[in-house]
Amino acid sequence: MSDVTIDDSAAGAIASAQDEVADERLVYQGVFQRLFIRPEVGATLAAASIWIFFWAVSGPFGLTGGASTILDVSSTLGIMAVAVSMLMIGGEFDLSAGAATGALGIVTLLLVRDITGDMGGAGLSLWVALPLSFIVAMGLGWFNGTMVNRTSLPSFIVTLGSFFIIVGAKLGFAKLLVDQIQVGKLDDLAIAADDRGGDKGYAFFDRIFGAEWDRNSHIWEARDAFYTIAIVAGLVLLFVGLHELYFRRRKERGLVSLAGVLPGVAVLIAGILILHNTDDTGGNALGAAVIGAAMLVGSVGLCAMRYSRHPGIGSLGSSAPMLKALGAGVVAVALAVVAALSFDPAVDEDITFLVTEQGLRAILFVGLSMIGAVLLLVGQSRARSISRLTGSVVLALIGIGVAAMAFFIRAESASPKFRGQVFSIMLAVAAAIVVWSIATTLFEERRFIDARADRFGQSVAIAGILAMVVGVTIRMLWVTQVELDRGIPPAKFSVRIIWFFVFTAACTWVLARTKFGSWVFAVGGNKDAARQIGVPAARTKTQLFMLVSGAAWLVGVLLAFRLNTIQANTGDGEEFEYIIAAVVGGTMLTGGYGSTFGAAIGAVIMAMAIQGLPSSRWNSDWRFVFLGAILLLSVIANNYIRSKAEAIR
Amino acid sequence: MSDTPLLELEDIGKFYGNIIALQGVTTEVQAGKVTCVLGDNGAGKSTFIKILAGVHQHDAGEFRLEGKPVTFDSPRQALDNGIAAVYQDLAMVPLMSVWRNFFLGAEPTKGVWPLQWIDKAKAKAIAKEEMAKMGIDIRDTEQAVGTLSGGERQSVAIARAVYFGAKVLILDEPTSALGVKQSGVVLRYIVEAAKRGLGVIFITHNPRHAYPVGDRFLILNRGESMGNFAKDEITIDELTQLMAGGAELEELQDELKRAISGDD
Repeated sequence: MSDVTIDDSAAGAIASAQDEVADERLVYQGVFQRLFIRPEVGATLAAASIWIFFWAVSGPFGLTGGASTILDVSSTLGIMAVAVSMLMIGGEFDLSAGAATGALGIVTLLLVRDITGDMGGAGLSLWVALPLSFIVAMGLGWFNGTMVNRTSLPSFIVTLGSFFIIVGAKLGFAKLLVDQIQVGKLDDLAIAADDRGGDKGYAFFDRIFGAEWDRNSHIWEARDAFYTIAIVAGLVLLFVGLHELYFRRRKERGLVSLAGVLPGVAVLIAGILILHNTDDTGGNALGAAVIGAAMLVGSVGLCAMRYSRHPGIGSLGSSAPMLKALGAGVVAVALAVVAALSFDPAVDEDITFLVTEQGLRAILFVGLSMIGAVLLLVGQSRARSISRLTGSVVLALIGIGVAAMAFFIRAESASPKFRGQVFSIMLAVAAAIVVWSIATTLFEERRFIDARADRFGQSVAIAGILAMVVGVTIRMLWVTQVELDRGIPPAKFSVRIIWFFVFTAACTWVLARTKFGSWVFAVGGNKDAARQIGVPAARTKTQLFMLVSGAAWLVGVLLAFRLNTIQANTGDGEEFEYIIAAVVGGTMLTGGYGSTFGAAIGAVIMAMAIQGLPSSRWNSDWRFVFLGAILLLSVIANNYIRSKAEAIR
Repeated sequence: MSDTPLLELEDIGKFYGNIIALQGVTTEVQAGKVTCVLGDNGAGKSTFIKILAGVHQHDAGEFRLEGKPVTFDSPRQALDNGIAAVYQDLAMVPLMSVWRNFFLGAEPTKGVWPLQWIDKAKAKAIAKEEMAKMGIDIRDTEQAVGTLSGGERQSVAIARAVYFGAKVLILDEPTSALGVKQSGVVLRYIVEAAKRGLGVIFITHNPRHAYPVGDRFLILNRGESMGNFAKDEITIDELTQLMAGGAELEELQDELKRAISGDD
């Protein structure tokens, strides 16, 4: 960040002076608009809402155990979804990807399986078998890609062919070679190690592909302190970054002016200490109030030091569309309140085939409140277009409404989850909304592109998000003795989650930053143009198919180390789940547009649906209804976002 | 520099089975000059540029690059020899940003293989600078090409070809989809490119666009050459007449005259 400090203010002044006259045909887009046109943002918001929904209606879902299961399920799905989304951005499909995961696991198992035991198996060491099966995977991808390129047939048809070939071959070879429809067992290698004098690399590779982290055997007493520090630091950074992106910097101000946030941070620490030292709900309210004050002090302090005041705030006004949206929002929230009041909090019985009484109550309340919140926000944006003051007043009223709802929830709910956590979080959100409404009334929004401020604000905000991720990770990976004594259910994190994260990060980097990534977008967006200009279109597509089959190899090996035995039908039909995850994550079915990060989020959404339904005591047969609905909703939402994106940019 | 033209074409022909797509076409392209190829729809203009750009290969005649006979097997090969084609559909990916389109297929990279990434800052700066040389101020090179106007897109394509060392620039109907003002802008780029020493082949069906910028005119009709003139050998009216098939146009004019006078 040194380049920002060097004469930051002077350069900023010159830059902004230029920027304001630069191009009259470019309308400046505020930070929120620019955020929402990114393909992965919709998916991230959807993931957050779905998580909140299941967290509210289900007991075990929100615990660390639930999170580890979601991550576990999403990791293999996600590795494939990320690879498939790259292929889809490149304009092709691979219907054989699901069946290939099982097939490549089986190939690996057949290669290591002992000849001496039952029938079949090559009895190779894993050191040889893994590279060999990887070569098979590359061959499969090369075959798919070359067939698509040479025949110019739609990849849908070509890979449908290879799908059936793989399905048949899996069954045929399994029966032929081992006389069963399943192939195993990998851990025989370890068991038979003594007879043979060596486990053929099993112990080594089991650490890479099969290791697990058992949370309950990792005790760290200082965990909560680190967690709190990380979360607070993250929130402060995010807060500062948001201000930097949103407000217009006063020309003479350098980095020192960021210190304006410090008094707020001091008050914030006081608020957190209050929260820490009290456990009852009264203390929560006091802590939340102090944290709210901290935000106010921090925000106004920062703005006063760094950003320019707004010359005029306009006068109050109203319009029919605004009142309509706000009215509808209030009605929805009121319905939510009525729905909540019409159930008895003390009763918790199964009332229908699907839900318990409290579950239904939570669904109605959370669902209606969310609808109300969206309508109110629509109303707020309409109010803001009338005048700054109107927007701010409406926003502040919404904030006060959120606070009122928080107290309502505390009074009406029986569960400690709602009385404690939901109450405090909602109060904090209410405080943030009110503070934001005050800050945006008094200080001026930046209405021109300032590359320096954008870069600085983005870096700070991303640092904040990373700090929070670190905090949550610390909390998920370690336990404290107190928790153990209370009998916290165990949670295990598999190494496959790391594979998932690393693979997603690598693919995202490749797509955004490398030649190959550019070519992927190009062959998907306009293949003929790409070829005319010298992009090796056929080679790029073949490499994409090989990426997908390489991912299938990874997933197959992960499955083999997890299950030891692989069924002949493993993975069959899952290719559609990969495609759904990619589409949910904002990837366009017609190619040329999309996001690998979004696909990873899409996989998490699907894993939540798969896990959330049974843990909310719903029969998991319903998950396909849920998945179908998510697919349709997200396609509509993504289409809308993209049309906005194209209109804006 | 010798007097050898950059490109020489002699009696070029192309057949698709029993269909004669192009026959007996002769012309030349000098460095720093604009050769216009005129013709109505279906005259064989597309076939002509595809041969030059290496998409198709000629079946008859001789194609000489700086005096040496050549046949290009692929667009890549033509490009490597300094012949860049800017097609009607522009060879751009609308959803991708200006700088990515500018460097597509030849991205500047940092790092050592296999860890190489695009030098984004450099790519953006060059794209912006090259566009500025063409007289276009692209404010944000992250802008998607699909959102640019037709003239701006043309300028991106031309600037790209010039930057990547094209000696011969083939422009396929660059003005056909544009309004009057935008066409003027593109014509200026054509002159600009020729001034920089490139040989330009400008394909159009509009003699009013061709005549002011052209130094040499090749007129095609139904796959055959109707003539190959230097600028001092032909006037704009003759050009128009030849292009539309001479006699046919006169007939049409007479008919129109009769129709108009009949109305009075």
